[in-house]
Amino acid sequence: MINPSTGPSSKAKVQHMMYGFGDDPNPLPETVTLVEEIVVEYVTDLAHKAQDIGSKRGKLSVEDFLFLIRKDLPKLNRCTELLSIQEELKQARKAFEVDEDKLATLE
Amino acid sequence: MDQQQPPPPTPNAPPPSSAVDPPPQPQPQPQIQQQTTPTPPSSTSSTAIPNPNPNPIPKPLPSAIPPPQQPPQPKPALPSHQPRPAAAFSRPWQQHSSQFTHFSSSSPSASSSPSPSLSSQPRGSIALGVPSSHSGPSPPSPSPSQSTPFTGSFGHSFGGTSSSNVSQARPMMRGIGMGSSVGSSSQMRPGGISAQHQQRPLQSSLRPTSSPTSQSPSTQNFQGHGLMRVSAVGSSSSTPSTLQTLQTPQSPNQPWLSSGAQGKPPLPPPWHRPQLRAHIPQQHHSLQTVSQQQHVSSPQVPPQNISSIQQQEHFEQQFSQSRASQSLPHQQQDSRSQGSANQKPSSLAMVQPSTVQVTQNKAAITESDDSGGRILSKRSIHDIVNQIDPSEKLDPEVEDILVDIAEDFVDSITTFGCSLAKHRKSDTLEAKDILLHLERNWNLTLPGFSGDEIKTYKKPITNEVHKERLAVIKKSILAREAANAKHIIGQTAVNTKGNVGKAAANILGSPNVKIREVS
Repeated sequence: MINPSTGPSSKAKVQHMMYGFGDDPNPLPETVTLVEEIVVEYVTDLAHKAQDIGSKRGKLSVEDFLFLIRKDLPKLNRCTELLSIQEELKQARKAFEVDEDKLATLE
Repeated sequence: MDQQQPPPPTPNAPPPSSAVDPPPQPQPQPQIQQQTTPTPPSSTSSTAIPNPNPNPIPKPLPSAIPPPQQPPQPKPALPSHQPRPAAAFSRPWQQHSSQFTHFSSSSPSASSSPSPSLSSQPRGSIALGVPSSHSGPSPPSPSPSQSTPFTGSFGHSFGGTSSSNVSQARPMMRGIGMGSSVGSSSQMRPGGISAQHQQRPLQSSLRPTSSPTSQSPSTQNFQGHGLMRVSAVGSSSSTPSTLQTLQTPQSPNQPWLSSGAQGKPPLPPPWHRPQLRAHIPQQHHSLQTVSQQQHVSSPQVPPQNISSIQQQEHFEQQFSQSRASQSLPHQQQDSRSQGSANQKPSSLAMVQPSTVQVTQNKAAITESDDSGGRILSKRSIHDIVNQIDPSEKLDPEVEDILVDIAEDFVDSITTFGCSLAKHRKSDTLEAKDILLHLERNWNLTLPGFSGDEIKTYKKPITNEVHKERLAVIKKSILAREAANAKHIIGQTAVNTKGNVGKAAANILGSPNVKIREVS
């Protein structure tokens, strides 16, 4: 809808996601538009609420988002899982770089 | 008065003449009405209602006929919400409905008076606070076509045949008690009610007595098409064929109204019915359905034509109101403000002819419940329940209540939506008005209608004073914490005992807690 992005359009992404959740490979365009609108509306609403909470603490943070989806266990668990994976990747990248640096220094 | 009679009879009697020459047949009409009401309102302008119940009608009619302007009175006398208690009532009602059309037309003023009372009553019965009263009688047949808009919102194919009519009819139908209100309406509010009634009568090829001429102009204001009919009523339904039906002399309409007391809420003027024609063969006297009203003539061909017609009309009215949300012209809004939801229905009717008819038919079917002009029929409730649980059953009272709730909901939403549109300085009810109301007051979001407008974020407004106070508190806490820390450290230095350390730790812990609370 509103996101100008290069590569696959947002509609195509939504369409693929719908297929991933069980829909037909080629759903109706109206369906895709509707689902996209629902998703955008949801994300927008979530961001607004997070900002409301974050402004009370000073700044917006990841914790605010996790707080908002606390009632939705599947989403919450998935979010924490993704965040932990992100941390692990960070550690891995850091270790990788350090290794290179060590090697460089050693050499 | 004969109004009642004439309308019904006109459909029957003049059916052959279909030309809708009802005027002269006040008496035969009533009879015919009864018969015709069930018959689908053939497009014949005359709205000859081929109701095979001519007989029953004459009886109630005579009583009602006497006061031309009070036809609805007898009917209003009926318990406001009596859903056409007896089939017999429904029958005569149907006929009346046909009569109604002319009723409304014939005596817009008369109808108006009863209608208001009708609306008030029927509505009153509904504790849901639906402004029933206003809608019914006041808008005397906004316009047969208006009923179409009704179909819109509820998906009932009200077909906005006579959204206006419906609206009018609605109030009348509402509250079967409307009977009493009908009577009052018969007294009519000039134009307001007559419009409604006119709509009805249109169907029944009731020639609205020219007497309502005064009404007709008022009704015309309503919506044009719906009004046309109404005006026709007043002015001897010179207006389009649909109006012809209205032309039934007011007296015939009124008597019908008065006979409404018979327990059948004044169905929207047969004018509505004609719209319903498509679906309700009996009721739609072709009178008006044809062009003007696309009445919501819900395809609910009421089993009891008469009652169903009434219901349908009401439905249409109600429906039209709901339709109004879809895109009601400002007029409707005004009408609403006036409390005559009927107007809106008329405009709505135009929009959705078929849907209205459907709803009306359904309404007719559920005659048992109050007022014919129901937006939702019991069948819809059944369908919805089946979607949830096929083995679920509902008590009939529960169904009634649900239908009432739905109607009230639609009514309130449309009303507020119209006032929002008015606030927007627009004369068209648009989707965004309804969406805003639902979002703000009902917390309901309907995706797919907003047109992709991004919702801007508004930062929470904070007062400066509050910020200052928070800052001061933070400072004091930090200072205290620092002081405590120094003190504790000093103490620990003096006392080598470990206890002091623990105490210090505790003290340090508490200020932290305090700080967190503040922030």
